[in-house]
Amino acid sequence: MKSESVRPTVPKCTFCENPAIVYRKEVNHHLCKTHFIADVELRVISNIEKKTLISDGDRIAIALSGGKDSTALLLLLYRLLPCWNDVHLIAITIDEGIAGYRVETIRSAQRLAHQFDIEHRIISFDDIYGNTLDSLLRGKESQACSICGILRKKALDKGARDVGATKLATGHNLDDEAQSALMNVLRDDLPRLVRNSSTMKSPYFIPRIKPLSDLSEKDIATYLLIQDAWTDLPECPYTHNALRREVRSMLSDLEYRYPGTMLRIMDSKRKIEHYLSGIEITEPLRHCKECGDPSSGEVCQVCLIKRSFSH
Amino acid sequence: MKVVLPDKNIKTIDFTSVSIEQILLDLGINPLEVIVSRNGTLVSEDMIVGNDDEIQIIRIAHGG
Repeated sequence: MKSESVRPTVPKCTFCENPAIVYRKEVNHHLCKTHFIADVELRVISNIEKKTLISDGDRIAIALSGGKDSTALLLLLYRLLPCWNDVHLIAITIDEGIAGYRVETIRSAQRLAHQFDIEHRIISFDDIYGNTLDSLLRGKESQACSICGILRKKALDKGARDVGATKLATGHNLDDEAQSALMNVLRDDLPRLVRNSSTMKSPYFIPRIKPLSDLSEKDIATYLLIQDAWTDLPECPYTHNALRREVRSMLSDLEYRYPGTMLRIMDSKRKIEHYLSGIEITEPLRHCKECGDPSSGEVCQVCLIKRSFSH
Repeated sequence: MKVVLPDKNIKTIDFTSVSIEQILLDLGINPLEVIVSRNGTLVSEDMIVGNDDEIQIIRIAHGG
């Protein structure tokens, strides 16, 4: 690496004289700690308002894994509560039963719920499916994320229904959303690409909202770190097996070289949703013939997974 | 300059001054996947740092 004779310099905040801690390339803003926090909170409230994600009187179940995204979600929604009348938060944690990973994050979730004095429910795969994810996945580790995703979704829906929630909030960030959109394209899965779970008008599902979907993973980590809310937790051991890992790495590289890539992917997804609005591209919902839950096929995905386990 | 890597290993780099972004790129790290502090304070990656500085690189865990 080559030496240069430039003196050390600290960039200043675009909006004040304080030193910048973040440079947002996509808008060409340097932000100090105070202005970065304000910027993050403004982007979240704008996202919520733009998509009407929260209404007065909502009872919001927060999917609180205890990891960084759900921690930020809890922190932000708690702070923004005064924006609405009579909105109530409840935390739901799913214990999939992943050795060496989930115990620590559950402890973190419990600490948070206690700190903010929020009702907290923990639901385990063992209770619902009779076994831990680790046991269920033996020999199927390469499908870990898709199997876990389906089982978690049902567990969260059950938890949200049990507490009488009107909305289920998850901590999905911009990186997650852009990765999912691209993965759905790679899998040629148009129904999933255009599915918008926050506006689903089905009596079977509690609308899922993603208030952090305009924030990058780095925004969220920075937001937590500068407020001493960052806990260095392990990553899920199964992420190494997923297609998502490759898509994440590719998108992250593209986002660095072409800032705004992820936002443009989400804009394209919204345009496709708009062009296809009113066109029925999914099977109408019916009841699973095995468990009775809503399903797009004769048998729901959870029951299909259970069948594969029994084989 | 002392650089604490995400795995806590320490690397010493000899520089008069360089941007944090350039240090990360030279180490093969995508700046979007880490947070960097200089002498214990979070800083933006376009900051120019000197040989007396200590840089810590924190990898952002995925998921959660």
